[in-house]
Amino acid sequence: MTSTEFDGAGTMNEAQSRTEEKPMIQASPAATTQPTVQPTVQSTVQPLVSMTGISKNFGAIRALTGVDLEVYPGEVVALVGDNGAGKSTLVKILAGVFKPDGGSISLSGTPVIISNTAEAYDLGIATVFQDLALCDNLDVVSNLWLGRELNVRGVLDHVGMETRSWALLRELSARIPSVRARVSTLSGGQRQTVAIARSLIGEPTIVILDEPTAALGVGAAAEVLNLIERLRERGLGVIVISHNIADVQAVSDRIVVLRLGRNNGHFHTDDVTNEIVISAITGASDYSR
Amino acid sequence: MQSRHPTPGSQTSLREANRARIVESLKRHGHLTQVELAGATGLSAATISNIVKELSGAGVVNTAATSRSGRRAVEVTLARRQGLVAGLHISKRHLRVAISDVDRTVVAENHLPLAVDHRYDRELDRAALLIGDMVEALDASLSDLLVLGMALPHPTDPATGIISTPGLMRGWDGVAIADSMSERIQLPVFADTEANLGGLAELRSGAARGFTSSVYIRVGYSIGGSLLINGSPYRGGSGRAGEVGHVMIDPHGPLCACGNRGCLEVFAGGPALLELFRGDPGIHRLRDLLLRAEAGDSRAGRAIADAGRHIGAAAATVSTLFDPELVVIGGEMAEAGELLLAPLRHELERATIGAHAPDVVTGTLGDRAAVLGCLAAAIDNVGAEWKPQLR
Repeated sequence: MTSTEFDGAGTMNEAQSRTEEKPMIQASPAATTQPTVQPTVQSTVQPLVSMTGISKNFGAIRALTGVDLEVYPGEVVALVGDNGAGKSTLVKILAGVFKPDGGSISLSGTPVIISNTAEAYDLGIATVFQDLALCDNLDVVSNLWLGRELNVRGVLDHVGMETRSWALLRELSARIPSVRARVSTLSGGQRQTVAIARSLIGEPTIVILDEPTAALGVGAAAEVLNLIERLRERGLGVIVISHNIADVQAVSDRIVVLRLGRNNGHFHTDDVTNEIVISAITGASDYSR
Repeated sequence: MQSRHPTPGSQTSLREANRARIVESLKRHGHLTQVELAGATGLSAATISNIVKELSGAGVVNTAATSRSGRRAVEVTLARRQGLVAGLHISKRHLRVAISDVDRTVVAENHLPLAVDHRYDRELDRAALLIGDMVEALDASLSDLLVLGMALPHPTDPATGIISTPGLMRGWDGVAIADSMSERIQLPVFADTEANLGGLAELRSGAARGFTSSVYIRVGYSIGGSLLINGSPYRGGSGRAGEVGHVMIDPHGPLCACGNRGCLEVFAGGPALLELFRGDPGIHRLRDLLLRAEAGDSRAGRAIADAGRHIGAAAATVSTLFDPELVVIGGEMAEAGELLLAPLRHELERATIGAHAPDVVTGTLGDRAAVLGCLAAAIDNVGAEWKPQLR
């Protein structure tokens, strides 16, 4: 409780009362011995996304049961879990692909219902799926602006799109040889970069990345990890799904573990070793509540 | 009888020494004009001209016509050997790789974030692959690399190459790091602390250029220091000289990972500062803290100022012992600028003997200082004898 010493008493009381009202991060029963997150100083910052008690059934299969997830501005949250743990289902609910059967979603404190992907996009939620969904036959600029082309009095504004593409890619310190290069000529890391850049065109507040470093070489993975840091510095909330625990520990601020459709642990990245995360993923230790 | 070295004091030995000096200066500065060479070596213009002609005839250097402030000049560079060197900086939260040619032109650079408590095997494997990738992208191959210089957060024992103070770098303890990297990449590897190499870079081409005695303090997720005396870092008996982060500033303070109590790092190191903001969803990294302080957050500003004061106290001890002309602050926290430096300076002035405190400035090379130092050290060691410490 070192941090409380630096706080006025008022802040502390406020923190306690807020914690009672609505536990932002619920402590597990054996919280004293487990390295789960302890809310000590509760900031007044609203979470960008707060998903509470999300449930989803596919017929007789319960994909998700009462799952919680919160993301704050400028924070990278890693969503990890075994295959079939429900990670993709959870982010697809946020992206508007699936409708949840139970639970609530609020964005910056306002409850919302996301019924389709276009609505999610309008609410500032951008998703980069694992297959990237780029058009190989088009160049980088066309891919970035696909479906949202800029136009001046009904005529495509090629110059405007190209300059804004350069500005965006430069801001992300992306290593793309030319914005007029066809996507099919780019490397895996560059394609991932283009896909992430495309998600930023609509000025989102939340970016969801599904397995961004899978199937990439070391150099390309480094590029993507740096890119995630850039997103974080822009104050976006980032949700990363990954199986690579070392990458997760390098870029994330918090780790949320799902196991068999339930929360099984919620860690501050700085506090945990990868053994603890792996034991939570595999179910060797039970952090559910 | 003809000995290998000419008799000391003879004309020949003098000439040989001068030649070595010129080559040495070129190694350090990359390319210089003959006039600049005269300045750098202290030799007369005529001597330089003669020796350069001789070296150029022998194919050691190349000359090219150029101009300096409108006047004709002859630029001298080391003849480009088909060779590259690599620098690898492993810090607590970042890995940075750079590749340069032996003329000190950086031709490729890359970095990636690292996990807290990263482990040696995974990171060295990754670094080796990354260096391989980068070299390939330059249309070269690993066999074009001559030497790898490597920077680590903490000193290694010069006899064994193992981190000298166990516990400071979990996951890297008990490993002969340079040897282990050398096995992966099949190159001679020279390892030193990030503070020494960062200091070396600042000394050669940064803020400490031209000073005969200065101190470089690297403040980030860990705190290290380097005593730059007469053009090179002073390493001490076991390579641990200059570890400012483990100067005791409060005998009753909390325990430190090094086994002592009340070290500077426990008060002003990155983890200690971030601990103050635990539970704040907006602060997870030092950069967040700096941004918050810049935006005018008083708690963040105060935490940085306090860190500055603590570092100032430790720097005062160093100044009293070594009387440096300059203190250079580098590392992630140096970006805080005057927020950190003003309280640091104040404390340093208060506690240095005779109130005669050295100047305090931030490094000019920023985050890249250590990796540039790696490259400089690697170039210095091209052709040097290297043998694995443990076999």
